[in-house]
Amino acid sequence: MFTPSWSTDAGSVVLEQERVLVASQLALDAGVRAGMRRGGVVMLLPDARLHARAPALEAEALQAVALALLQYTPQVTEGAEATLLMDVGASLRLFGGIRALCRRVHADVRTLGFTASLACAPTARGAWLLARANAGRAVRMESLLRRLDRLAVLLVPPARPFADWFDGIGCHTLGDLRRLPRPGLQRRCGRALLDLLDAAYGLTSELHTWISPPETFRARLELYDRIDDAELLLAGARCLLVQLTGWLCARQLAVERITLRLEHERGRVARAPTGIEIVLAEPAWRDEHLVRLLRERLARLALDAPVIGLALEALQVRPMAPPNASLFPEPGGSEEDRMRMLELLAARLGPENVLQPLPLADYRPEQANVWVPVQQTVSDKARAAQLPPDVLSLPRPTWLLARPIALLMRDRRPFYGSPLQVTSNPERIEAGWWDGLGTRDYFIAEGQDHTLYWVYRERIGVDEREPRWYLHGLFG
Amino acid sequence: MTCSSSISAAPESLHPSLWLASQLARGDTRCIDTGHLALSAHLPGGGWPTGTLVDLLLPQPGIGEMRLLRPALAAVATRRVVLLQPPHPPQALALATLGVQPSQLIWLRAGSTADALWAAEQVLRSGSCGALLFWQNHVRGEHLRRLHLAAQAGETLFFMMRPLAAAQDASPAPLRLALRPQSGGIEISFVKRRGPQRDATLFLPLTSYLPNRHAPVDRTTPAPVAARGVHTQLVH
Repeated sequence: MFTPSWSTDAGSVVLEQERVLVASQLALDAGVRAGMRRGGVVMLLPDARLHARAPALEAEALQAVALALLQYTPQVTEGAEATLLMDVGASLRLFGGIRALCRRVHADVRTLGFTASLACAPTARGAWLLARANAGRAVRMESLLRRLDRLAVLLVPPARPFADWFDGIGCHTLGDLRRLPRPGLQRRCGRALLDLLDAAYGLTSELHTWISPPETFRARLELYDRIDDAELLLAGARCLLVQLTGWLCARQLAVERITLRLEHERGRVARAPTGIEIVLAEPAWRDEHLVRLLRERLARLALDAPVIGLALEALQVRPMAPPNASLFPEPGGSEEDRMRMLELLAARLGPENVLQPLPLADYRPEQANVWVPVQQTVSDKARAAQLPPDVLSLPRPTWLLARPIALLMRDRRPFYGSPLQVTSNPERIEAGWWDGLGTRDYFIAEGQDHTLYWVYRERIGVDEREPRWYLHGLFG
Repeated sequence: MTCSSSISAAPESLHPSLWLASQLARGDTRCIDTGHLALSAHLPGGGWPTGTLVDLLLPQPGIGEMRLLRPALAAVATRRVVLLQPPHPPQALALATLGVQPSQLIWLRAGSTADALWAAEQVLRSGSCGALLFWQNHVRGEHLRRLHLAAQAGETLFFMMRPLAAAQDASPAPLRLALRPQSGGIEISFVKRRGPQRDATLFLPLTSYLPNRHAPVDRTTPAPVAARGVHTQLVH
């Protein structure tokens, strides 16, 4: 059962062996308590959503968190009782100290939709005990010993079978436990308890098998409800992106192409998942830019059915190349910043509306003025080869009308707002007979308000008509 | 006592953002030279201010506004020049003659006003472009303020091209110029600037596309405003 912290509470209760294990805040307010039977819950909260505990889903969730946390250290391992152990000794300076690191871990876990109790300690087992007791941070060995001594004995799994005996002899805390004679304790409770204590107190070293990230990235998220709101979909997608970030950091890769599939409910007709594909010009391994791109794409998307699941896949990756930071940053930002801005613009406006010029060596002005999407890579050399050697020799208007406007004639002069006076010699353009373009004589004409226009006259009229005048451009 | 006398003597010596009503403001922002001496003399800071909203009010597109901006655009064209919602398709060849290489040009088309405003804000916030030219006929005051704020985040040269009728509306832009075409050049009236009100228009000759058949008519350009440092007495 996955109800992320950003979803609405519908009164969910999780049962294990017909007893309540945990309940959501709404259910707790209604009086549901841990250990209740199913009948009691139904009586208190008739429309409660009852779920059986699913160990497979829990393991999957833990895997997802572990994958996300791989961005902070490559050394992450699963501990007992739904815990994760991370060795952050080498990461402290990079992430700005233990407090900043804890804040980021908390934020990431919250993005994934979970709540975590976080603890740190110089020993892995000690951190595990503190986290289980929710007893906070201990950075120095002395404070760890102090805190451990105050913890309850029953936190230690090997001690639980002997709970009655410990209670009987008045041994409640780990401090009490350590004062007991070791040989006797080993005979009664076994080797495991002493080993665990030694590891926690830093007397012996521990070995872990670290999680190794998978070869390819493919994450799936089942949504708790049918969703058709872009903001909630984005929150779901962020869960997956956080995992992607962890995977990319662990494998030292940067992503070039990802696809997010929105899965729809299978009703009478099977509906293919809606795919959103994002292609990046600059490979990225941080999720901020991807989140911004996804937000714009999701906002533009029109869903024809509610979404019940999300799947994210990294289709194309390349080795991560950390940026070369300069000592004095350029005022205009780097080329990557520029690319990111253009990608963001293309995500909202559409790639066909973010254009760069690709002039074509053609005499006809319409054909020469070609604009292509920014994503298309055009080399400067190819572009320069298409430009005339002396650009200043050709009088060309800044604005070229999409379609030439046929001009009225008054007193045998073209008229556009005011009578136009031709002020230049004609420039004859005669090309493209295969496309049906006739011969045109271009002039620069001046209106009475001194605005300059680029007009042309057909040399030969179409259909036996008089040659007509057309307005084709404005001089900016 | 000494304090009050020093204020009446030179308020601009107290703080850079103080100036007398008869003086032009000293630019505390970086300015790009306009390339036209007569115009630079009448602008606070001696050029187009970067990182602020500059309103250019035009009766219609294509009256010489791009030729007016030509030197400034050529100066910032080491970075991208973004044309947002131009009235007609721009022609790369013509812009190349204005000194902006085609590789530096970006043409953005937006479906709606909201999209256009959003795109303008993104371009300004990223700060990675040299200049942004934005054509928009109807903008609400709060959107202009927001764009002005976004412009202040960076050093982008930001011109907004609006119809002449918008001169009546209030605008947060510190510099607003109305442009009208004239024979052989352009006529500029100062709707708003940080400096004394100026009612007379300024004629600026522009490089013509026409071959030189006539000698240019000499026009006397009016004397520039009293420069800073010439003290004017306040009359009580």
